[in-house]
Amino acid sequence: MEQIRVFFKKSATYQLLQILAEQFEDFITTLGEIAQRGLKTLMCILTGQINWKEVIEQSSRFGVSSLPITISIVSMTSIIVAMQVAGEMVKQGGGNYVGLLVAMLTVRETGIIMSGFAIISMIGSSLASEIATMKVTEQIDAISVLGVDPVRYLFVPRVIAGTLMMPPVLIIASTFGILGGGVASTAVSELSYKAYFTSVWSGLFIYDIKVALAKAFVYGCTIALISCTCGYMAKGGAKGVGIATTKAVVWSFVAIVIWDLIFSVAFFF
Amino acid sequence: MIKVEHLIKKFDEKIVLNDISFEVKDGETLAIVGFSGSGKSTILKIICGLLEEDLGKITTTEGDVAMVFQYSALFDSLNVHDNIIFALQERKELRKKYTTEDLDNIVKEKLKLVGLEGIENKFPSELSGGMQKRVSFARAIVTNPKTILYDEPTAGLDPISSTLIEDYIVRLKEETHASSIVVTHQMSTIERTADKVLMLYNGKCVFKGTPKEMCEAGNEYTKQFVTASLTGPMKMLAE
Repeated sequence: MEQIRVFFKKSATYQLLQILAEQFEDFITTLGEIAQRGLKTLMCILTGQINWKEVIEQSSRFGVSSLPITISIVSMTSIIVAMQVAGEMVKQGGGNYVGLLVAMLTVRETGIIMSGFAIISMIGSSLASEIATMKVTEQIDAISVLGVDPVRYLFVPRVIAGTLMMPPVLIIASTFGILGGGVASTAVSELSYKAYFTSVWSGLFIYDIKVALAKAFVYGCTIALISCTCGYMAKGGAKGVGIATTKAVVWSFVAIVIWDLIFSVAFFF
Repeated sequence: MIKVEHLIKKFDEKIVLNDISFEVKDGETLAIVGFSGSGKSTILKIICGLLEEDLGKITTTEGDVAMVFQYSALFDSLNVHDNIIFALQERKELRKKYTTEDLDNIVKEKLKLVGLEGIENKFPSELSGGMQKRVSFARAIVTNPKTILYDEPTAGLDPISSTLIEDYIVRLKEETHASSIVVTHQMSTIERTADKVLMLYNGKCVFKGTPKEMCEAGNEYTKQFVTASLTGPMKMLAE
């Protein structure tokens, strides 16, 4: 029996099961940490423990620093979509719907998803690596020993900044996206600007904009919270910082796609 | 005063601290020595609340516990001025007590104490290791703590900077009358700063006494440590 046990422990099946078990444990732990830190952050916000100076600094990081790349990504996505569909739709007699399609797609999906991806890549990764470096160099321990709550000092301003800055970033990036779609549509087809923008107006609904803004609030909060938590969970040295940053990016990507699915099911079905 | 009674700490199944007891009176300094991984820093982290003990009792004089970290742990996004007043600005109960002018004066006073006047606007990355350590001293004492913990304060410093740091430890003890614990590997730090010495090996206390007794007593562990001998009761972890 003992021999069978030893043999099984050396087998690839056992190793695979062990890796899966470890990954599952890590998944549950991370989820628990995110929930715990999220609740603590919420409590701090509700009890007014907010450092507004730090909120402004972080808002500038979220909103201003990320804006050029977010605008570029959302605009290019809309341009690509417009280039793909405009020519064909005009040929098939559907030129009046090109603006509607680009506007609806940008407001409902590509604007927010692409803005989310841009913010994760630029700001989420930077938040995670910053906090992870503070963790492995004992700066977070120093914050605690000095009698300051690390969640209040690090999480609260970043989560507030993420939540507040994502909607304006989305509005600006989506506007550029729709404009870019117009330029591309008129460039690749015989569609006029007037026809494109008339079509855009018919495809823009207040309901869609409200849902997009709600998504932006939730995504901004989610990205900031996940990035801070993954950074906070870092262990070891430089390798730990790298692992934490990768984890923050992957978890944030997956989280916003899941949120997107939830929003789509809840508001568009 | 710091009183540690029957302290036990495990990491998973490994016992890192096994029934450790000691007392440090007001104005006294205890040096904790031992191999790397013997649990020295763990004791400090338990006393300052960064880790929880599994069993045992820790009592400290009411008031702040300050810690000087091995690699200074200065906040690299803040300049020296903001590093020093961090606790005074961020703690709710202290924030309203001081005006901007008071804070500036406190920074000047603390920097003068550690011999670093005029570096308020520099960032940690612009300072040498010794200077960073001295700024972390200034930051640690800004709340007038009753207990000060030093985690290898002279590690990685040249002999002259080490002597300077040792002088500050003695000076802080005299000026604040706080109880201090110094975790160190260096005999010079023990001789110059400590009133008492505690030696750990494999999580257990193998010697308690004064620095003089440590050098003179017939304890095999201290003898091996003082003479830096490879032969003796203490084996490296790899052996």
